[in-house]
Amino acid sequence: MPEFESFDYARMGRRSDDFAAHEEAAAGDADDDIAITELEELEIDLLLEAIHRMRGFDFRNYLRSSLRRRIRHRMHLEGALTISSLQDRILHEEGCMERLLEDFSIKVTEMFRDPAFFQTFRSEVVPLLRQYDRLRIWNAGCATGEEVYSMAILLEEEGLLERTMIYATDMSRAAIALSKEGRFPLKRMQAYTKNYLQAGGSREFSAYYTTDHAYARFLPTLKNHMVFAQHNLVTDGSFNEFQVILCRNVLIYFNPALQSRVHGILNESLAPDGFLVLGSKESLLAPHRNGFTEFNPEQRIFRKSGDPI
Amino acid sequence: MFKNMNYTIRMKIAIGYLLIICCLGITIAVVSERINTLHNEMEQIVTRDLEIQNFITNIRYNVVSMETSQRGYLLTGRQAYLLPYQEGKSQWEANHTSLAALLDNNASALKELEAIKLTIQNWINTTGEPTIAMRANNDTEGIQTFYRNDPGKADIDKLRTQLEDMRLSHIDDTKSYILQLESRNRVVTLSLYILLFAVVIVSLLIVSFVSSSIVKTIRQVSSTIAGISVAKGDLSKRIHVKTNDEIKELAEATNALLVSLEAQSWITTRVAEIATMTQGLNNLEELGRSFLSRVAPMVGAPYGVFYIRGAKGSEPRMNKLAAYAESGDAEARASFRFGEGLIGQCAMDKRTYLLSAPDDYKAGIQSGTTELHPRNLLIVPIEYEGKVVAVVEFASLEPFTAQHLKLLESIEDYFGVTIDNVTGRMEVERLLSESQALTEELQTQTEELQAQSEELQMQQEEMRMTTEHLEEQNLFAAQKTKELEHAKTELEAYAEKLKQSAQYKSNFLANMSHELRTPLNSILILSQMLYENENKLLTEEEEGYARVIHSSGNDLLSLINDILDLSKIEAGKIALVMDDVNVTEIPEMMRMLFDPVADKKGITFRIELQHDIPSVVRTDGQRLQQILKNLLSNAFKFTESGTVTLKLHQADPAVVADKMPGSAPEELLAFSVVDTGIGIPKDKQDLIFGAFQQLDGNTNRVYGGTGLGLSICNELANLLGGCIVVESELHKGSSFTLYLPATHCTAIELEQASMQASASYSAPGHPFADVNFGDNAAAAASPPISQSEPVKNTPAAASSGMGGSEETALFLGKRVLLVEDDERNIFAIDKALKNKGLEVVIARNGRECLDIVASDSNFDLVLMDIMMPIMDGFETTRALRADEAMHDKPIIALTAKAMKSDQESCLQAGASDYISKPIHMEQLFSLMRVWLTKQVGH
Repeated sequence: MPEFESFDYARMGRRSDDFAAHEEAAAGDADDDIAITELEELEIDLLLEAIHRMRGFDFRNYLRSSLRRRIRHRMHLEGALTISSLQDRILHEEGCMERLLEDFSIKVTEMFRDPAFFQTFRSEVVPLLRQYDRLRIWNAGCATGEEVYSMAILLEEEGLLERTMIYATDMSRAAIALSKEGRFPLKRMQAYTKNYLQAGGSREFSAYYTTDHAYARFLPTLKNHMVFAQHNLVTDGSFNEFQVILCRNVLIYFNPALQSRVHGILNESLAPDGFLVLGSKESLLAPHRNGFTEFNPEQRIFRKSGDPI
Repeated sequence: MFKNMNYTIRMKIAIGYLLIICCLGITIAVVSERINTLHNEMEQIVTRDLEIQNFITNIRYNVVSMETSQRGYLLTGRQAYLLPYQEGKSQWEANHTSLAALLDNNASALKELEAIKLTIQNWINTTGEPTIAMRANNDTEGIQTFYRNDPGKADIDKLRTQLEDMRLSHIDDTKSYILQLESRNRVVTLSLYILLFAVVIVSLLIVSFVSSSIVKTIRQVSSTIAGISVAKGDLSKRIHVKTNDEIKELAEATNALLVSLEAQSWITTRVAEIATMTQGLNNLEELGRSFLSRVAPMVGAPYGVFYIRGAKGSEPRMNKLAAYAESGDAEARASFRFGEGLIGQCAMDKRTYLLSAPDDYKAGIQSGTTELHPRNLLIVPIEYEGKVVAVVEFASLEPFTAQHLKLLESIEDYFGVTIDNVTGRMEVERLLSESQALTEELQTQTEELQAQSEELQMQQEEMRMTTEHLEEQNLFAAQKTKELEHAKTELEAYAEKLKQSAQYKSNFLANMSHELRTPLNSILILSQMLYENENKLLTEEEEGYARVIHSSGNDLLSLINDILDLSKIEAGKIALVMDDVNVTEIPEMMRMLFDPVADKKGITFRIELQHDIPSVVRTDGQRLQQILKNLLSNAFKFTESGTVTLKLHQADPAVVADKMPGSAPEELLAFSVVDTGIGIPKDKQDLIFGAFQQLDGNTNRVYGGTGLGLSICNELANLLGGCIVVESELHKGSSFTLYLPATHCTAIELEQASMQASASYSAPGHPFADVNFGDNAAAAASPPISQSEPVKNTPAAASSGMGGSEETALFLGKRVLLVEDDERNIFAIDKALKNKGLEVVIARNGRECLDIVASDSNFDLVLMDIMMPIMDGFETTRALRADEAMHDKPIIALTAKAMKSDQESCLQAGASDYISKPIHMEQLFSLMRVWLTKQVGH
């Protein structure tokens, strides 16, 4: 058996190289209007290194094609002709770095996003969570907090919120600050309401918020069960043990090496028999698959195998 | 005593039992003998005692019968009575003798007996005989005499006592004797127990000795066997037994078994070894090699070859696969047909060949020093499913043993399977690697797809973000447009007001100037007349006063003219007279005008003309002169020493790009007035063109003037399509440059230009369109629109935490269709919504609602009660959703709180959201805010 295992690992290593190559090829297909030159790659390397050294944000293992697009976008907006000239401004011009970092942090989220997932979570996972007296949930990469409040509402309706603490983290301080506010623009609330209802919401959604001219503010009582913190999956490690970890649509921005690292952190942070939820297009990498069973493959809910002892 | 003798277990047990039985026998014999003795003694005592008693009684009886008989005789004198006496007399002595014999060991008793004898004899002698004799002699007297004394009575009494004593003492004797016997009896009992105990001890000793002698050997055997099992089947151990019994036989049998097991185990171990070795091998060649390298040493063969079944075309062959200690020349043939040679034959016959090699056996075993020729050959076929799959040949210097053959037999049995397995495994391996390659390929493709899908998802998210951003911007833009429109309306109103006030102002100014000029004219004329003093009526002092009045009047007049000019310009009432003006003439005119001033103030007046400037430009010459005059007079006014320079030159491109973007520098002509006067501080340079502005309050007092000059200049310059640019440094001097278009352009064009310039501030076609408000005016006219209060008077918004105007902006003019049958609800909701500025249309049931919508579907939101007569909310909602005009409108259902099924049904019917009754107004407003806010992203 051992030799088979090592064999498998060897294949893994090879495959990730292939993967990178394919990824490049794919990126090339997508952006073939602008040639990817070695020089540009070098410039991106240097830029990412600079950002890392200056701010500690490590984007070096983010999916390159995505970063490239966003750097180009920023170049266009700043009127910079080369990445190096953009870098010059980023290093010396106040606010420019923030703008680029803002570009890098894609905060696409909504309340009860993928209602089918929340429905499944409610009907299949929640019954298994009732056995715990204390429930800890980690929402890793919570962006502006929509998912945190969605989960809190779901748990409230299932009577579990009282014993739950949801730890919401994101690498962006600004995003965390927004999350803490717990207010979401009115101009998105119709979609959220539809999602809520599709996700099997059992009450009036309007009972959870008050409004002003631009925002719906969610009940502060929900916030009693939330902890917000700045946490960077790229550089920080595990900080607690959780029964449920939500990490949806975060990994798609990472390259396989970084994905693997994050999988490690998530695995480490998950209690035996705990649940890991990934985004609809994400999956566990081969080396981490062993410790998990596919609880609901369609909704990307994985369950950590029980204690091996 | 057993140790040196070899007894069988049976004997040991028999001897043991015998010993125990002997002991028991002896014990029983001793004890019974003792009991017998005791018993005899007891009997003796009892018999003797009885005899003694008997004799004593007899003696007494004899004496009594003698006495009785003697008395009877004495009485009767009959001889017959005397018989018992005779009998007694003859018997008592015999009894006495017998008793004496019985008591011979008792001296005191004998003594008493002797006394008794004496007494009896005494009685006989003294009483019996004499009396009898007397009777016989009929001596009655003698008898009577005798009985008077009766000595015989004393004898008899004495005898009685003696006999009684004797009996009693004898009883005592007997008693003491019995006691003695009893104590002896106890001793016997005790000794019986002791004996029994001794026997038990002895028995135990014997049992333990016998059993230990048996168990010891058994233990020896079993420990040896256990040793074998502990040593994991080390069958080399043997059982050693010193005794010569059945155990020894057992041990010997076991040893024999061990020997056979050891042999078997040797084979099994070797087979297992080979099996282990071949496990996991996926390669036939390796299998052959390791087989040989293991088996050859086992069978003591220094040389071996392995042939495997192969095929050459359709013909099966045995091909050499591996060799052991093969010599360099590889004389073992590589391949045999079936039936060819021993190998081929063996393969064909499926039988083992064991033969002594001929002397010329070719295969040699090479060592470092020599080459050996084996003498024995062993050729073994290996079969699988009745088919020879391999043949192995071993050559050895020593003969092969039966064990070797057995081993090979065992190996052969399973090795066929192994070969088949390996072959199978090789095939599986090949297939596996093929499939793995395919899987890998598939995996790569999957991951590529995955990456692409992630990429797509991400792009989608980015796109969505961009879209949202754009939509937000659109929304913002729309809002801004709305605001701008609002501002425009307001501006229009302002403009209207301004137009009116400007009209008033113009009228006022026209009137004023007229009204002012009329008295001023009188003042000027009259004061002039006064100071001319033609009649010499005034003193010189009074003449001075008049002069002051006149000059002040003049100042006042010029001020009024200035104001009039400015207001005219602002009112757009200045008509430009466009003509070709020869600019080279202008310096001369200026020199004529200002040379006297320069001379008077001691200032140099210089004029510089750049040589390549156009000489003729189309402009209003009068106005140009007015501007230059004004600038020059200002320069002279504020310059105490140094120079004032008028320069005509080409426009400075940098300044043009900054101040007049859209104009080409070469199409402009510049007139600069440069002085070395007091200068203007930077922060005031923008202000000086404003009406009534001078540097500070003091300036006016020192230098005079109205401060309107520069304003007028600036306005005129603008009218002419140019501008005035000032550069200045405090205490060093100032430079005012007038830029004018040097091309031929018409007044109408100019007017259009100025219209465009002001178009952003005023509506086209407005009477003030041709008026340039100037920078200040523009700034004043465009305050941040969002801060301005709405013009319309709206109901006060009383919402919590919401800016009234923003609330109003959201709700104002929105139309809500309230479908509800309950009058109280209608009243409450209608009132609350109207308070928020919403327009409410009421339908009292579903049918009515559909009727209303059929004629007017311009609603922003529908509030739909569920429980209604005629047509309920579900049906109405479905009907509304079917209507194209209402398909996407928000419909909020009003449900009963408890009715969970209602809530689901109304969502299914197509309601956008629901709210439970009784309705909480703030929640309703929240909902309405959500559903009335224009959404992004979807």
